[in-house]
Amino acid sequence: MTIVTHVLATTLGVKLFHLHGRSVVLAYLFGVAVDIDHFIKLPYFLRSVGLRNKRGYYWRSSLQEPVALLWIIPLSIFLGTVVPVAFFIVHLAMDYAVRYEKMPWYPYSAVVTRGWLTRIPDAVKEGVLLAVLICSNVFLVWTRR
Amino acid sequence: MFERLPRLDAAVDRAAGPITRFLHRRLGITADQVTWASFGVTIVAAAVIARGHLYAGLALMAVGQALDHFDGAIARESGSASLAGARLDTAVDRLSEAAIFFGMVAAGLVSLKLALLAFTAILLLTSVSERSRLDPGCKRFVLYLGPWVAYPILFEVIFAVNLIAYVIGLLIVDIHFQRRMDALGGDLDTVASRAAESEAEERQPLPAPRSA
Repeated sequence: MTIVTHVLATTLGVKLFHLHGRSVVLAYLFGVAVDIDHFIKLPYFLRSVGLRNKRGYYWRSSLQEPVALLWIIPLSIFLGTVVPVAFFIVHLAMDYAVRYEKMPWYPYSAVVTRGWLTRIPDAVKEGVLLAVLICSNVFLVWTRR
Repeated sequence: MFERLPRLDAAVDRAAGPITRFLHRRLGITADQVTWASFGVTIVAAAVIARGHLYAGLALMAVGQALDHFDGAIARESGSASLAGARLDTAVDRLSEAAIFFGMVAAGLVSLKLALLAFTAILLLTSVSERSRLDPGCKRFVLYLGPWVAYPILFEVIFAVNLIAYVIGLLIVDIHFQRRMDALGGDLDTVASRAAESEAEERQPLPAPRSA
């Protein structure tokens, strides 16, 4: 999913659950900023593909795969909040709706999956979700004015 | 003991050479025997700490860690160093940490929750350190600072350092895999599954030779 969709979903969650202070920072860290691994992969993309517009490059890393729950759950217990786990699972659920290859348990398992709802085109899923998230955010802002 | 600092490891090996040779050549002690002896001393250290004698326990823990150095040194001296031996050493190290941590919980120096979290972080780091080659070594050594720094803070440091090292270790392993995918090339839509297959093939053990 695109960064805009992740930002909208996280913003909706923050508003819906009336999060404040540290919880908001954690929500955006684990709902959006886990995408930072794309920047880590950028030098490899440039070396391998160059500046061409080539789709399908493997931009993912274990930072945004289910395997990351192995460290996010202990971190949540340490911090005494479910916010990191909850927003990370939302991020995962959205990414797994897009059809590209993913390795959920790497490096512990070499299993490769394409996620769920694979028969529906990615553009349709992303478009519908984007529309729902925009409407929900606007509705929340409007009703709480 | 200092696997991540080869120069220091070699210097300690040289300094302890006469003791290593005495243990191995004169007494016929093997590396595995020293590993288990080190574990035994550490268990006693954990029990002593649990009974409330912190300084005596830390001194015994130091003896256990000193012994822990000799297993590797004897293995190198006798030419019996192996991956299986290194893995046994790692497993015993983790058991030793578990014993010491729970000794400290029993003594009321730290909460069970914090000790479990720190131990979980150490286990996570161990699970990838062989492939990532990253281990800052922030484990039992930190506990010697106990007389000056409160134990809950030290356990938080162990948790944080090992958890961060684990996340970085995962990324290092990912980057190795990315290089494999980039080298494979071809259809980008299937490159992950092809790279996973090639990695699995490389990791498969060689077939055992058939007997006549």
